[in-house]
Parts: sequence; structure tokens; C-alpha cells
Amino acid sequence: MKRYIAYTIVFIVLLSSCAWHSTSVTDPDDIVYAPLRFEPPKAQRVKLENGIILYMLEDHEIPLVNISAVIRMGSFYDPPGKEGLAEITGTVMRTGGTKSMTGNQIDEELDFIAGKIAVSVGTNSCTLSMSVLEKDINKGLQIFSDILTSPVFSEEKLETAKILEIEALERISDNPQKIAFREFRRLMYHGDPRGRLSSVESIQKIERDDLLKFYKRFFRPGNVMIALSGDIEEKDAVIKIRNSLGKWDIPGGPEKLPPPPARVGASLNYIYKSTPQSVIIIGHSAPGKKSPDYYVFEILDFITGSGGFRSHIFAEVRNRLGLAYSAGSFYSPRTKYGIFGAYAMAKGSSTVEALSAITKILDNVRDRGVESGVELAWAKESIINNFIFSFARPSQIVMGQMMLEFDGLPDNFLTNYKDNIEMAGLDDLRHVAARYLSGESRIVLVLGNKEKFNKPLSSFGNFHMEKNGTENQEN
Amino acid sequence: MTSEKTLRHIFLECLVITCLASFLLCITLSPCSAYDLKEKVKEFTLKNGLKVLIVERHASPTVSLYISHDTGAVDEGDGHTGTAHILEHMMFKGTETIGTKNFEEENRILQKIHDMGNALDTELMKRKSADVQKTESLRKQLEILQRKAGEWSIPSEIDRLYTEKGGGDLNAFTGQDLTSYHVSLPSNRIELWARIESDRMLNPVFREFYSERKVVMEERKQTVESNPGRKLMEQFLAAAFMVHPYRRPVLGWAPDMRFLNIDYTKEFFRTYYSPNNTTIAIVGDVSSDRTMKIIKHYFGRIPSQEIPVRCPTEEPPQNGERRVKLISDASPRLIIGYHKPTLPSFDDCVFDVIDTILSGGRTSRLFKALVEKGIAVGVNTANGFPGARYPNLFVVFAEPVSPHTCKELEEIIYKELDILKKEPVKPEELEKAKNQLKADILRHISTNSGLAGMLSYYGAVAGSWQYITKFPDLLERVTPEDVISAAKKYLEPRNRTVAELVREK
Repeated sequence: MKRYIAYTIVFIVLLSSCAWHSTSVTDPDDIVYAPLRFEPPKAQRVKLENGIILYMLEDHEIPLVNISAVIRMGSFYDPPGKEGLAEITGTVMRTGGTKSMTGNQIDEELDFIAGKIAVSVGTNSCTLSMSVLEKDINKGLQIFSDILTSPVFSEEKLETAKILEIEALERISDNPQKIAFREFRRLMYHGDPRGRLSSVESIQKIERDDLLKFYKRFFRPGNVMIALSGDIEEKDAVIKIRNSLGKWDIPGGPEKLPPPPARVGASLNYIYKSTPQSVIIIGHSAPGKKSPDYYVFEILDFITGSGGFRSHIFAEVRNRLGLAYSAGSFYSPRTKYGIFGAYAMAKGSSTVEALSAITKILDNVRDRGVESGVELAWAKESIINNFIFSFARPSQIVMGQMMLEFDGLPDNFLTNYKDNIEMAGLDDLRHVAARYLSGESRIVLVLGNKEKFNKPLSSFGNFHMEKNGTENQEN
Repeated sequence: MTSEKTLRHIFLECLVITCLASFLLCITLSPCSAYDLKEKVKEFTLKNGLKVLIVERHASPTVSLYISHDTGAVDEGDGHTGTAHILEHMMFKGTETIGTKNFEEENRILQKIHDMGNALDTELMKRKSADVQKTESLRKQLEILQRKAGEWSIPSEIDRLYTEKGGGDLNAFTGQDLTSYHVSLPSNRIELWARIESDRMLNPVFREFYSERKVVMEERKQTVESNPGRKLMEQFLAAAFMVHPYRRPVLGWAPDMRFLNIDYTKEFFRTYYSPNNTTIAIVGDVSSDRTMKIIKHYFGRIPSQEIPVRCPTEEPPQNGERRVKLISDASPRLIIGYHKPTLPSFDDCVFDVIDTILSGGRTSRLFKALVEKGIAVGVNTANGFPGARYPNLFVVFAEPVSPHTCKELEEIIYKELDILKKEPVKPEELEKAKNQLKADILRHISTNSGLAGMLSYYGAVAGSWQYITKFPDLLERVTPEDVISAAKKYLEPRNRTVAELVREK
């Protein structure tokens, strides 16, 4: 009886849709999809009288409002010997109180309305962000603008911030990956402020006066852009931002930021750490977003190691050889420069095998490019189809559009992105790979216990640097 | 640097490392919302018992898809720890129609690999008395067979199909209670998802089992053995639970993992990945009618199974403090845990409030007493550790600032816990905690993947997603007296386990 019913259903299904039949399911490559049409909403841009640039997009799904102020300030500007100043300035801006409230009062007010304000400091930019319930927007904005325009950097909160930062630095030695990626950064940006890292000594030297000066140098309306999205009407948002930040009036335009000097030379670097698993990172300088090579390099990185299970490094080091759980590549492009890295974490005895496998893949891509048009087509289709997720949420859209202006990229950068990816050909990939993946500019870093390696690392060349990773991280 | 709630990720193992693996956070982020879910969630049950939850959201043509099987490490037999997790990895190896050039040919070799692998393991299990020559010969034959099988297989087809069609956040998570598979797709690609997922629930093929076993052992080296915090966590759980399976790590104990068994893994799959043990949650730009048509077509063909009654050994009451030390060349850290009931018990809800009072935000009690004073670099609490299907733990994590010690932290923490037992929480502080719990949830469900993750999680673990909508009323009922009585009942020394990492070079 059951079988009979099943057949009846099959029959009905066949009538209603020719594509569906139950004895054999459709080949996944043959599924036909309806076209996807989507014109992402455009954020509204307003320039306030004092120079603040504001981007806004309404989003009434959830009763929350999100605001991010992005400031041109970051660890790039840390004075030599006081590395960590940008970070500490950001932390104490948030905790150290304002002209109208102490830090503790701010915390109390915010926690009560379940609002969140956070400061994050990167190399080139600092972001002050807030998330509040729509009903508490006025209260939230008042605190937010106070923190942005009149922080007082209390001595007591500075002391706490320094204590915590020093302890966090000391604890880096517990984390092999962190040690390795910090060292990698230092090697990739050798001779540039981006390669200078904070240390216990540099944090100890930071005083309140340094914070005040640092704040004064960067915080002015002309150096700030704000992205706002959420459950609020645009014209209402402009009025509120104007009321809370319109009177902030300090002259000056946006801060300038020079790119790092071109890096030359290859090196092999080793950090000793008694750990069951080695961290292997291989780095190359890469094009920035303004370079004509940018789109081709995105594809190159995707195929080499960031495009999931099919990408070369993952497929070889993890799937075929089973040498690592994490293996792949990353590409971090800035406006005018970028970094490419390939990595794997493998047990001590597999270290040299994993390193050889990755260098072989990189050399292969460099010397031969990507051999098949099928692979290139797969990478392009994947990148283009996934691009919709850059516009998945209003908060992303508004931030994305604002960051184009922040980075000095053209308005049509995102709209032309797909076409630019589409245009890349096999020859372009070959040229770009040859240009950037030269063995003569390759930085190799291995952290681990070389006594466990089954082959000596020196088979890869002479060490440029050898150090002990269990000691505190000196600068 | 501050007490971000990242420690709560600890008990989740995933296919690939990602920061997006946050949905199981809701073990401790209790549900509540001003956003009317009741109106938005459409609920369906297929004839084979598969539950489907759909929320339409049309902000962009994207959709987030979660499949959660109501099973996890807790259902493994002793000696088989790590099975639920390697099964999750095996599910990405394809099916009879995805990932093969000719399944019949391939399967013939896979059968041989299977037998050879079992023979090799049997020999290796003899440890010292194992026949070295035999193991070497078996190992070589296995390698040859694996290479042969490789000629018939097309590796990583599932990943290729999803990636090519714009899929993002492709990942899977294994916890103690639950195993979830997630992907976000452009919303016109739902049929691809249904085709792949239903096929792997019906006809998965466990290719590359033995090389994947090496991968999960590397995963353990990376995420546990190179990580002092995780190592301490393992010791802590093994001490806090004497007999209940929550004592075992989700990744498995290393000696068990060496011998993870393909037959046992297959059986585990057959038993627990059936449609009547599964919840699907879909949030995004979809029409529920059309989506259900697709789901019925693809998933409706999977037969339901009888799920065995699960009755793991109950943890006996703890009658005295337990202490563990882990000696390691790393900075000191501390974990303190107390046994308590799980949801839907009212006390579990009271612990959500206690959790927030103690570590929610910069004005929480432990943050002020430890981090603000520069005594701890971080402090955090978690309600519902390491799972939520069975009675679990309320846990405090802290890391001292040198030269302060774990002992000092313990004393301060116990003092704060004593205050909870003695002094009624002021109405403002209680209201603050409730406000925070509500807002955290709103933030969590503001993304499609956040909401889909939460629906499938509660759909599976709490029996119904509607626990989410009932939670606000429960929360409103919590009074200062409830906090005192729960604190008195559970946060007492005899119910406590303490694990401490001690530095020694």
C-alpha cells in the first residue's frame, strides 16, 4: 500500500514539474536557477557644516541603531619607543570619562540601557562604534559624541589600561599562532612604522600627556566619517547627529598616510617554541586595491589557498596529505599596498613536508600560472556569485560605501567589481603571479621545535633570524 | 583585554576555523525579544518527522540555512570519543552521486580500504605485541588502495558546488548536544542546498576516512594541545563530571582518536542523522511556500528511523570540592564550576540573570572587582556548560595579572558569590541585567545566520523553538529572592570544581 501511494505521488510530481523526478535526482550542476536581480540601496551621504561626512541607511527590521565613526589614526602613528600609544589612547578614550561624565558613570548609563560602545584601533584607522536600542538613541548619542569630542583620559583608567595591556602582551607567549603572526608582521613591514610592535617597555613609557597630544593630533571633524544604520528615519538621524556633533569645530582636513616602502629580499626565519605543532607562514608583498593587478590577485589568492576545499593549499596539505587542520592563504589589500600569506599549522615531524608542499604550490603558480581555464572559470564564478554578501545587510552596505570614500577609491569600485573579475584571463594570472610570487622576495617564517622536525629547516637556506619564542616579546 | 564572552566558544568544534561560529553562544545567551518571533516563524513538520522553521526577511536576496541534528559527542560510547566530530568532517566527502566518477567502481575499492583499515587498527591496538611487519605491509596496501580510490573520486565536490554558486560561511559545528551544518546562499540557490543536504542525509560516502583521521588529530594539536586554556578546560570537565559523558572532550581523547572507527561512525550516522531527529531553520529572502515544496521533494524521500532512548549515566550529586592542577609553561588561569539544572528549569533562567550580573558588561560585579582593579586581565562566566540537554555547569573563568595569583582571584570571586547569597540584588541592577539579556538577543537575531542558528538550536535542544518566545515571561518572573535562593542552593563549596593552571618551566 505504501509503495502504491509513493508511486501516485511521483506521478503527480512529474506532472507538476518536469525537472523533478524521484527515481534519480537532478545532477546538482544541472539545476536551473531563477535570475537574481538586486540593486543594493544607496546610502545617503551628508556633509555637515563642520566637515564630518555622514552615510546613512534605514533598516527597520530590528529596533536597534548602529553608528560607527571612523577616524584616520592608528598604530602607524605610534611614536618610536612608545608603540601601543594609539591602542591605549583608544582604550582610555572609552573608559577614562568625558568633560561631563566620569568613566564609571558612562559605564553605568550604557549598561543600564544595554548599549554598547567600543573603540577598536588598527594600523591606519580607529573605529568608535555604538549599538543601542532605538528608544535610547538620544542618550546613546550624547555619550557617543562626548567620548568622541571631549574625552579626559583619567590617570587612574590609564594605569589600569597599561596593566591590562602589559599582561596581555606577556600572555602572547602562551599562543604560538599569535607569536608567529606578530613576527610575520614585523618581517613584512621591516623598516616601516607598520612593522613596529608594542612591548612591555614601550607601554610602560606611555603617559597621560602622550594620550592628550595623540588625541589632539587626530580628532577633528574633517578627519572623521560616520556610518549610521538602523531603525531610524534618515532625516531624523541627520538632525540628531547635527545636534550632538554639529558644534564640534576644529579646523583641519583628513590625515595623510604614506604607503610602506617597497620591501626587498627573501629570508628564512625561525622561532624556537616547544609546542606540539609548528606554525608556518610564507609571505609576499601584494598589490593594493588601486593597482590594476588587484582583481587578478584576488583570483590568484582564491585559487591558491583561500577558495575553500578546492584551493590548492587546502586540497594538498589538508585533504591529500592530511598534514594540517588549518592550511590556506590570505590576501589583505589596502588602498595602495597589500600582503599575501600562505600558512599551515602542522605537527613537528611534518613541518618541513608541509613547508615544502606550500612552497611547491606557490612556485608552480608563479612559474605556470593556473593551467586550466576550468579552474579560472570556477574561481571567477565563485567570487562573483558570493559578491552579493557584501550587500547582505544595510549596516554592511552603509559601511562599505563610506569606506570607499575613506580609502579614496572610486564610487563605482563596488559596482564595477564583478566586471573587473570577469575580465581576468589566464595570461593575466600568469603575469601577476610571476610579478608578486618571486622566490627572491619571499619571507618564510617557521615557529616550532626544530629538534622534532624530521628534516633540517636549513635545507631551505640560511637563517636570516633565529629567536626564542618562549621569552617575552621584545621589540 | 576586557571580558569578552569568547570563552564560550570553547566547547564547539568546527570543520574549519572561523570567527563566525557563534550561534551556539545562545546556550548562554538566553532567548528573549521585543521582536515578535511568534508572528514571523512558520513551522512545518514533514511526514518523516523533519521539522522546518522558516522566517522570511527580504532585505537582500540572501538566505541562511541551518540543519541541526539532535546529537553530539554526548551520544558516543566510551572508547569512541571523537566520533560525532569526525562524522561531521566525513559529511563533506560527498555522496553516491556527488564526488565520484563512477560510484560502483569506487565503492569496490572503498570496501577494501574499509577492511584494510580495520585490520590495520586491530593490529595496532595490540600495541607492543603488534606485528611490525604486518602493520607495515597493511599500511602500504592501504596507501595503494587510497590512491586507487582517489582515481575514481572528485574531491571536495560539496564545497565546490556551494562555493561556485556563491555560498558563504560554509561550515559545520559539533557540540556535546548538537551537530549543525550551515551555509549562506544567494536566495535563488535553495534547490542546490536541498539537493546536496538531502543527499548527504540519505547516501553519504565516507571517503578519505583515514587521512581525515590525521586531520582531526592535527586539529586537536592545534586547538587543544597548543592551547593552555583548552588543555585546562579538558582537565576541568573531566573532574567536574565523574560519570556523565559531558566529562569528555568533543574532539575526543587522543588515544581514542587514533582508532576512530569507520563502522562505528556509520552506525552513529544511521542512528542519529535521521529526519525525525533533525531541525532545519531558514532565514532570508525566500517564499515559505516555494521553499517547502523544494524541501518536501528532496527531504521527504528520507525515511525516518527509530531513535533509541538515550539515557547516559546520571551524574551523582557532588559532595565536596574537587580541585585539579595543570602544570604547564604558560600564564596562570582559573576555572571554577558549579553543577546546576538545565533548561527549561526556572533555575536555569535565574542563572542567566546571575551570569549577567556577574560578568555582563563593564559594570558587572566580577568585572569591577577584578578587571577594573587590574587584578585579572579577563573574567567571564557562562551558564550552561558544556551542553544544555542534560544538567550542566555554571562556570567562572579568570586570568590573573602578574604578580596576582589564582588564589587571590578565587577569594575575590567567592566573596562576590557570597554577596549574591546574602544581599538581595537591587531592583535597578536586576532590571539592568534583564535589559542586557533582551538586547543581546536582538543583536544576535539581527543577522539571518544568527536567527537561523538560534531557531534550530532551540528547536533541537529545548524541544521547540517556542522556548524563545516563552523566555521573556520567565525572565520577568525572576526576583531578587530567586537569585538568593539559586545562589544558596548551587553556588556552594561542596558543589564546586576548581581547575588551575600552574606555571612550571
